[in-house]
Amino acid sequence: MDLRKENKALKYILVTISFIFLGVFLILPLIYIVITALKEGIAGYVNAVTDEYAIKAALLTIEATVFAVIVNTIFGVAAAWLITKYAFKGKKLLSTFIDLPVTVSPIIAGLIYVLTFGRQSSLYPILDSYGIQIIFAVPGIVLATIFVTFPFISRELIPVLTAQGTDEEEAAAIMGANTFTIFRKVTFPHIKWALLYGIVLCTARAMGEFGAVSVLSGHLRGKTNTLPLYIELLYQGYDFTGAFAASSILVVLAIIVLILRLVIEKHGRKELDLNK
Amino acid sequence: MAYVELHDINKHFKKFHASKDINISIEKGKLVALLGPSGSGKTTILRMIAGLEQPDSGEIVIDGKVVNNVPGSERGIGFVFQNYALFRYMNVYDNIAFGLRVKKVPEDKIKERVTELLTLINCEGLEKRYPSQLSGGQKQRVAFARALAPNPQILLLDEPFAAIDAKVRLELRTWLRQMITKLNITSIFVTHDQDEAIEVADEIIVTNQGRVEQSGTPQELYKNPATPFVAQFIGNSVEVKNYDKFRYFDKTGETSVAYLRPEFVSIFKKGESVQFANSAEEAVVEDIIFRGSNIEVKVRIHDNLISAIRSINNPEIKVGETVDVFIYRIYVVQGDEVILATNSSLADEAIVI
Amino acid sequence: MNKRRSVIPGFGISMGITITILSIVVLIPLCSLVVFSAKLSFSEFVYTVTRPRILSGYFVSISTAFFASLVNVVMGLILAWILVRYDFKGKKFIDGIIELPFALPTAVAGISLTHLTTTNGWVGQIFYNLFGIKIAYTRIGITIALIFIGIPFVVRSVQPVLEKIDIQYEEAAFILGADSKTTFRKVIFPEILPAIISGFTLAFARSIGEYGSVVFIAGNTPYETEIAPLLIMAELQEYDYSAATSIALVMLGIAVIILSINAIAQSVVSKRVNGKA
Repeated sequence: MDLRKENKALKYILVTISFIFLGVFLILPLIYIVITALKEGIAGYVNAVTDEYAIKAALLTIEATVFAVIVNTIFGVAAAWLITKYAFKGKKLLSTFIDLPVTVSPIIAGLIYVLTFGRQSSLYPILDSYGIQIIFAVPGIVLATIFVTFPFISRELIPVLTAQGTDEEEAAAIMGANTFTIFRKVTFPHIKWALLYGIVLCTARAMGEFGAVSVLSGHLRGKTNTLPLYIELLYQGYDFTGAFAASSILVVLAIIVLILRLVIEKHGRKELDLNK
Repeated sequence: MAYVELHDINKHFKKFHASKDINISIEKGKLVALLGPSGSGKTTILRMIAGLEQPDSGEIVIDGKVVNNVPGSERGIGFVFQNYALFRYMNVYDNIAFGLRVKKVPEDKIKERVTELLTLINCEGLEKRYPSQLSGGQKQRVAFARALAPNPQILLLDEPFAAIDAKVRLELRTWLRQMITKLNITSIFVTHDQDEAIEVADEIIVTNQGRVEQSGTPQELYKNPATPFVAQFIGNSVEVKNYDKFRYFDKTGETSVAYLRPEFVSIFKKGESVQFANSAEEAVVEDIIFRGSNIEVKVRIHDNLISAIRSINNPEIKVGETVDVFIYRIYVVQGDEVILATNSSLADEAIVI
Repeated sequence: MNKRRSVIPGFGISMGITITILSIVVLIPLCSLVVFSAKLSFSEFVYTVTRPRILSGYFVSISTAFFASLVNVVMGLILAWILVRYDFKGKKFIDGIIELPFALPTAVAGISLTHLTTTNGWVGQIFYNLFGIKIAYTRIGITIALIFIGIPFVVRSVQPVLEKIDIQYEEAAFILGADSKTTFRKVIFPEILPAIISGFTLAFARSIGEYGSVVFIAGNTPYETEIAPLLIMAELQEYDYSAATSIALVMLGIAVIILSINAIAQSVVSKRVNGKA
């Protein structure tokens, strides 16, 4: 007898509630986006997504996302390695600072960059003398994107590396392997799926960031507008078809991310089981 | 008179046949061990008696009543889980009281019973502790008290000593045996450790590959193993492939497989034994293991590596030495049965001397 | 930093990379927030954050985030339960789609939810015509958007804990005579309560700071549906950095309080379970 499968009626009630809830809150908005995007026919849709400004916005989004993924991958791997392979003072504090960005409101994230690099900052004259502009320009957007996705990769790697322990690295080190060899041959095989998973999450969040980017963008059409900002612009100009058409691109990307997540998780679970 | 009976029980887990035609009968007040290697189906039997699993066919009878359709909680059973399954978020008092509270026993009666049990298990003063603050032995005792609280007629214990370190385990064995005798409660426990079963139980049921191989008192199992499996499983038996080559043992069955226990073998230095001088065989010592209170000597004879125990008071034997080996008895396998064969030279001992 | 004599090489380089990037992205900006805040005059700070419009913003943010997180606790518990305990068609689909709010850009979710819930939207007209309830451009709308973004938090924190509960606990309760309701209440619920609290506080903290999905559906009527992050945004657009920082400091304070409550709750529980009480 299986204690956990007793109550059929309860099961159907709970499953039904879940389907209705997710149907209304998650599926319906997706369907709505697609339908509205196609309201004015395929031609209208194609027009909207191939608009010059839409493409420029998409390119900027890709640029910011690529930067965020590269920086956060380097950081995430270094930080996860540091935290799980060595004992040192201040480790807890370090972890807190790494996790901090996701608990801060995106608007506040934007604000602190404005305070750091804006006109009133003492850094401003120095940067200005080199002709570097950060806020209301592309570097600000990139920085904000890095910030909001900051812990995404390290957070996926740390549990896997913790479960794996340090025995294998110590064995390799005693046999004389250098850092790079140890990482490549010993550590990396353990974390490859978790790393990929972190990169997928980081990409998803980076391309969709709105609040922080909104603060730091100059909202210049074709210059500092990312895709989500461009959608806002169209929406506020009552160009709903355009807004939803641009949104549909992000919907497709989100669905791809979800599918990737399931695939990677399947592999990653096997890996985590092996580590145990 | 049988108190717990299993008639023709079969149980499958998907395609795995976990219990095959199980027939068991346990008398009231007995302490019974279900002994077998892992995967032999012993835990499944225990869980079916407890109502945690349903048999596919067959009857489970407790106190003369078929209980197949009676929920486990109404079978008058106490169950001690392998890792105790003490509720982590309840203190000792609440853990022991749990079974009484769900039965809506008045709170003052509960207090009385819990206090009584705490005294019984020697854990007075621990009622406010949480399971994580208890030692392994204390957890085991609390789990025992929790199972006993609703006054069950039968106590079932799943590997009760498995999670405890070796030293405390011996103490707890004695304690549990005394407790159960004192309470005179019919008890069944599962173990894979033959020493544990032999030492604690009144009766042992040996399981293997889903079947009951033999049941009986420890002495019976030891002296008269009914099946090749029991002969091999009980005692530190080694398998012998061609026993008929040994002196004074004649082939009696179709195969020449037999089981030999260390206590059936004596090993002598050359010239040490007068008694068996003519009937012993020569063999070469391959290994010597110091066991603390005695010495295990391994010798190769007729292509079999067999063990014997020697007292540390006897003259020392070295690896590579040629020694005299005398085998008193062996268990000869004949089909599904086992027959005890005795060295035929012992019959005409007078002539030998 | 006190380096332990580990045999694994690479401490220096990994520490170097970590600290450099952390400094540029997090520490220096955070310092500038601290430096800037120190320059604020206290009376001006108090004046800014106690203006009725700002107080109302805090209230709207906190109350809607709280209700949304409560809904997510109930739904998150149900979702985690069915995903762990039941087999049914579409289980993989539910498991995958739950993560949508993490993957879908908040602004996209925002405009879609807004259009669906206006008085002539697909869902909005049903509620408006039948019950006279407006969703978009009211606090209900804000709550809806916050429920959307908070869905994964409770599910993802409860699910792994529920998966790990040893069936022995339930069997022990069953043999002692407990019915499934009692077993859930006394045995399972205490096991998952820490995960529920942690999921709730994470969703709550995230919801208070949420901007993208809310601005569209909120309507942003002063004193009615203006959320605190929007007020910061408004001050920034006026280049009033002092006011923006003041409002932000209070919000950071609220976030710290929420996360501390969680930390305290978790440590109380872990003391009990790990035996250091």
